[in-house]
Amino acid sequence: MKGSLAICLRDVLKFLRQPILMMSTIVGPLLTLVLLGSAFGGAITLAPIAVVRESYGPYSSNFIDVLRNEQSCELGGINCQNSFQLMDVPDLDTAQQMLHDGVVKAIAHIPLGFDDSLAKNSKVFVTVTLDNTDPLSTAAIGSEIAQAGQQLSPLIQTSAQDSSNVTIDLEYAYRNVLYIEFMAPGTFVQSIMFVSIIAGGVQLVVDKERGIIEGYLVTPLKKHEIVIGVLLSGVIKALFASIALFVLAIVLTGIRPMSIFPSPNLLGIVLTMFTLFLTSLGLIAMMTAYAVRSTSADLYRVTCFPINLTLYYTSGAIYPLDGMPMWMKEISVINPETYAVHALRLLMYKGAGFQAVAGDFIFIAAFTGVMVVLAIIAFRRAL
Amino acid sequence: MDLAVQTFGITRKFGDFTAVDHLNLEIKHEVFGLIGPNGAGKTTLQRMLVTVLSPTEGTASVAGADIVREANKVRERIGVVTQASTLDIELSATQNMNLYGMYYGMSRKQRQERIPELLKVVGLADRAKIPVAGYSGGMKRRLEIVRALIHEPQVLFLDEPTTGLDPQARAAVLDYVKRIHEDHGITLVITTHYLDEAENLCDRLAIVDRGKIVALGSPMELKRRVTGGDIVEADFSTLPDTALKALERADFVLEIKRRNGGLTILVKNGAEAVPKIVGLVDSNGGKLRTITLRELTLDDVFLNFTGRSLRE
Repeated sequence: MKGSLAICLRDVLKFLRQPILMMSTIVGPLLTLVLLGSAFGGAITLAPIAVVRESYGPYSSNFIDVLRNEQSCELGGINCQNSFQLMDVPDLDTAQQMLHDGVVKAIAHIPLGFDDSLAKNSKVFVTVTLDNTDPLSTAAIGSEIAQAGQQLSPLIQTSAQDSSNVTIDLEYAYRNVLYIEFMAPGTFVQSIMFVSIIAGGVQLVVDKERGIIEGYLVTPLKKHEIVIGVLLSGVIKALFASIALFVLAIVLTGIRPMSIFPSPNLLGIVLTMFTLFLTSLGLIAMMTAYAVRSTSADLYRVTCFPINLTLYYTSGAIYPLDGMPMWMKEISVINPETYAVHALRLLMYKGAGFQAVAGDFIFIAAFTGVMVVLAIIAFRRAL
Repeated sequence: MDLAVQTFGITRKFGDFTAVDHLNLEIKHEVFGLIGPNGAGKTTLQRMLVTVLSPTEGTASVAGADIVREANKVRERIGVVTQASTLDIELSATQNMNLYGMYYGMSRKQRQERIPELLKVVGLADRAKIPVAGYSGGMKRRLEIVRALIHEPQVLFLDEPTTGLDPQARAAVLDYVKRIHEDHGITLVITTHYLDEAENLCDRLAIVDRGKIVALGSPMELKRRVTGGDIVEADFSTLPDTALKALERADFVLEIKRRNGGLTILVKNGAEAVPKIVGLVDSNGGKLRTITLRELTLDDVFLNFTGRSLRE
């Protein structure tokens, strides 16, 4: 009994001596609560919707106003925001391209004759095409638009017995994407992040702690050579991990990326690989920039944990960005994982081409550039 | 350029603590030892000379280049064996050497010629292909030493090259180090706190204490400088105060230091002093257990210059 007491005392005393370690046991779960809780609890806000209007008149104007003013509130009716962000698009083809490129989440098509038909008190159909590669947003947007349709009816002066002259037709632009498929791209990015933390950063800090870095420092290696070397080895490791995970996910969970199913498409595969490559470069550059000045491997590990969670949760990897509160959206804008997840989803489930993901590539590439420069500047050739 | 190393008031502070204090030193093409207790500043001095630590003041020239302004030139001309191992233990000896050669920008041909040759020098040729993790401590050290020679440096810095090795491995490592100097004419700068090592290996020594050099010279010179005398170690069964006082008063005694269980007595002439000591102790009612006469060691020299023992 005395022995158990001694061991218990020893562990508790050591725990109290490491406040950072102690904090990490609290910070992780707290971040999960705040970030995931806020994301999942929030309703869809400011979801971009293309409106293709082929009919002009009081009824269609009314319908658009209702959509524009539709509000979503956080739990308890606070912090209300517009549900949609409407974009006027001249024709259906353009709108479909925007949907395909991930610029809008849905298309509301108000057909020719909408106002005339309602004026004559006959039934009209509004077709809403949804981007169902994002199953959570799709469900929410679909139900919100249907609600708008119902709100419209009392505004329309028609015969009282027929309260719903306006029928909303929901159409899905793609095959039904499962939630596990929606989540998969974020997981690939996550594997890259793990490699960045473990293989890229920790290696550097541990080597520094053990004095192994001195083995480099006494040779004529230049600091950019050291940083870029660390970066490239990290990319190889991260690519290996993420591609292995990609294959495993297909085999084990049955996700069906369009670049491979039903028939392999070389451009799709190349673009997907390139996205993984660019993401590896960006995340490893970020963690290397952080690691070059870290002196304690323990502190580095403990702080990486919340960084990883924050980036993962705000990237839209497990919950769509449209459902996040404003402050989380702001983080997601500067989060490289957001762009990686976005590009991977477009490539995997929409069969998107280069121009759709070019913006994501540009962001990640610029981010990588900044981080590499930071890492090289921060790297101390002599102590 | 005649000197291998020349320092100009080199200083390094860590916060308020001055590890190396305006130190001036010249090292020729020789085997040079920096000795001193832990924390004396010898490793800090060496880390500045090998360009991994910047001086806070002053500078030095190593192998003809300035360690601050021409750090990369210095790095190209020196080899370094650090105190903590920097080997990649997952990799084989050849792979370790090969990578190191690449750090120095050596061509594949140069590396392929030089690596087997160097591994043979330290008796590792037959183990060249197995991971270093399976090596003994002595083998790892030998590998590190030849790895540091891959680019044919002019000066080789060794920081505590034999720490943590058993006596046999130590002897083997020292043997190789000696041979490297003799066969290749490379200047060696060694920090150590093993005095016997320094005494056997080094042409000249600097005793470093509290960031300064307190004595400099060949092992023989240093010993001569302390005294012209000999050391008598005496252990007692009983030592009355009267006997101690009688010894302290005796004209042939230069100095007496108490140590556990006995006295260390510095005398002018050992052969004459021993019988006199025996007589004095006996006549004052004391009882000797052992009495030995020995030559002055560097440990004594160190004690004399720094006021404390190396093993403290």
